[in-house]
Amino acid sequence: MMLIECPWCGPRNETEYGYGGEAHVAYPADPNALTDNEWAKFLFYRKNPKGLFAERWVHSAGCRRWFNAVRDTLTYEFKAVYKPGEPQPIATTNAPAQGGTK
Amino acid sequence: MAEQVLTDISALRTSPLAHMAFALQQGAVAGERGVSARELAFTTQIGLRAEPGSEAHAALAAATGVGLPASVGEVAGNAEGTAVLWSGPDEFLVVAPEGTELFDDLVAALGQSAGQVVDLSANRTVVELSGPSARLVLEKGCPADLHPRSFGVGTAIATVLGPVPVLLWKTAEDTFRLLPRASFADYTARWLLDAMTEFASPEVD
Amino acid sequence: MADILPEHPEFLWHNPDPKPSYDAIIVGGGGHGLATAYYLAKNHGMTNIAVLERGWLAGGNMARNTTIIRSNYLWDESAGMYEKSLKLWEQLPEELEYDFLFSQRGVMNLAHTLGDVRESMRRVGANQLNGVDAEWITPEQVKELCPIINIGDDIRYPVMGATYQPRAGIAKHDHVAWAFARKCDEMGVDIIQNCEVTGFIKDGNRVTGVKTNRGTINAGKVALCGAGHSSVLAEQAGFDLPIQSHPLQALVSELHEPVHPTVVMSNHVHVYVSQAHKGELVMGAGIDTYNGYGQRGAFHVIEEQMAAAVELFPIFGRAHVLRTWGGIVDTTMDASPIVSKTPIDQLYVNCGWGTGGFKGTPGAGFTFAHTIANDEPHELNAGFSIERFETGHLIDEHGAAAVAH
Ligand SMILES: Cc1cc2nc3c(=O)[nH]c(=O)nc-3n(C[C@H](O)[C@H](O)[C@H](O)COP(=O)(O)OP(=O)(O)OC[C@H]3O[C@@H](n4cnc5c(N)ncnc54)[C@H](O)[C@@H]3O)c2cc1C
Ligand SMILES: [Zn+2]
Repeated sequence: MMLIECPWCGPRNETEYGYGGEAHVAYPADPNALTDNEWAKFLFYRKNPKGLFAERWVHSAGCRRWFNAVRDTLTYEFKAVYKPGEPQPIATTNAPAQGGTK
Repeated sequence: MAEQVLTDISALRTSPLAHMAFALQQGAVAGERGVSARELAFTTQIGLRAEPGSEAHAALAAATGVGLPASVGEVAGNAEGTAVLWSGPDEFLVVAPEGTELFDDLVAALGQSAGQVVDLSANRTVVELSGPSARLVLEKGCPADLHPRSFGVGTAIATVLGPVPVLLWKTAEDTFRLLPRASFADYTARWLLDAMTEFASPEVD
Repeated sequence: MADILPEHPEFLWHNPDPKPSYDAIIVGGGGHGLATAYYLAKNHGMTNIAVLERGWLAGGNMARNTTIIRSNYLWDESAGMYEKSLKLWEQLPEELEYDFLFSQRGVMNLAHTLGDVRESMRRVGANQLNGVDAEWITPEQVKELCPIINIGDDIRYPVMGATYQPRAGIAKHDHVAWAFARKCDEMGVDIIQNCEVTGFIKDGNRVTGVKTNRGTINAGKVALCGAGHSSVLAEQAGFDLPIQSHPLQALVSELHEPVHPTVVMSNHVHVYVSQAHKGELVMGAGIDTYNGYGQRGAFHVIEEQMAAAVELFPIFGRAHVLRTWGGIVDTTMDASPIVSKTPIDQLYVNCGWGTGGFKGTPGAGFTFAHTIANDEPHELNAGFSIERFETGHLIDEHGAAAVAH
């Protein structure tokens, strides 16, 4: 059971949250321009690192807002949470740090 | 026929926990470990959305008469009159006694600005849980920290009770209001009754 | 229960040091790695091979699963793969000369909603067309097969019927691993424990060996069977997999007299139950939602599962949760495995069995060994390629695999 810090509501029990998988996956600017391989990569492939991972969570039973987190997938420890649009504070293999700390 | 049309349909209204009123009354526990639950039916509830700092936000804050809460846990106003609960960074819930005429004023205040005013009165019912054991009952199924040092009188949050999403509002020392959605009200009431039962017996150590 | 556990032999395999070079290296000493080695040696005459295991043999998902074996999946590709696997299960105890308590006590998948009912009936129809023994049974028949189940209509998710596969069942998972390991060892396969693959050696686009914590080992072919770490291995090797790894938990109760004669699964309420030979009730849950390599999950998942189990089997209210544990399951977007060549020459991958690969152990080993030996898939695993995510020929088994297993 994890205590997860919502950027708006503070620490709440894991059961109040939903998981949204990898963060910072941009929708392709022009889907029609993609090859089948590129489209498959966008649709079915997500990073799956053992270690730090930038991912999305939603505080479904609380303020119902989506936010981002950097979490260690081995220890499950949350290293940082940040609001959509805010820079990613810690580098991960799926996305580099964008400056700033939290 | 025209003369026979029922003009006051409020007589036909049934609140989500009307069928549980007797059971809740029977389930009340008296004494120093006491706790009891009852429904506060037909409150006025209005959902508001406006970005803090916007004109709409300022206009709605003025129109509620009690302002808008600034952050999680905060409640503007008071439980007896009009209260506004924080439900998200740009989202609020007005809760006021039955018949409070506020909706039209809020709609007018919002005008054409970006935002929302929605009558949500039938969405959730209110269950009031009170007594020295109220917090202990809630702690059986609510994972939020309800210790008075972090959850004082006048605090309200969105959380869960067992599997049910509820708004939980502490209106007085030993008194909480729970706002489950109407379709979850029956389950919530039965859950509470079950959780209250043990307090009718002396504490086992 | 009535069966007596087989005597534990003194030793089943040697613990050799790695040789400098092998014709083929299999990464991962779980059920799939061992079965692959077994069929490589037995069917394809490749005995100069090694199975490298980072921990101890079958310490991954192989001995953490709830051992359900069945083949009633929806699509033709799956029916082919899982039914082949089930047929192999039926002959393995004799072939491996090891009684690993394969018990064909039947498996039922309960339907609790009208949607469930329709989908289940469709699957039964598809199974029958594919020669898989499957039938639709009524709540009364469910009750007859498993008297302790509550088929009342006053529960949250009443039993509206079930699919039933009589030939399905359970087996004792650690013994299955040991049975394969012993035979592999007898045929000359090196089973090397405490040997973690940390990288790959390549010559151009061709794999030529692996780096391990016990030195570099050369290999003509390398086959990945590293369930739980498929993405990590693929990344080291330099290719992508459409895999997400999640915690999956299971639990057992204390030992009980025989009360549960079959296997009951319910996707809708997220629970599956059988009673092991010793007498403990074995139950599995749904995956924890987040990606995780921690071999542990959250308690609320267990709690929800117990609530569902007690409603279906009121008698379980008297039982206790004795132990819970977790594994790491590698899931794909279509809930079907990948048994395939990779973009790298002489490198092969068997992964993505998610919550349901125990039953596939012999089938995976059989087809994967063929793929490795011939550098070409067997007809039964041709559909389970990595390319299907690009061509769109997905094998969507969410209905049959659903929550788990
Ligand atoms: C709780 C639970 C319940 C389940 N229930 C069922 C069920 O009822 N029926 C069913 O069919 N399936 C079930 N499954 C799924 C099934 O267990 C797996 O799909 C299957 O075991 C995977 O194949 P395996 O046995 O080879 O995996 P594993 O036993 O996990 O083998 C993979 C091995 O690779 C090793 N490895 C990883 N990385 C490296 C490396 N770098 N170097 C060397 N070795 C490495 C690991 O240590 C591990 O031993 C369940 C799984 C879990 C977790
Ligand atoms: Zn929140």
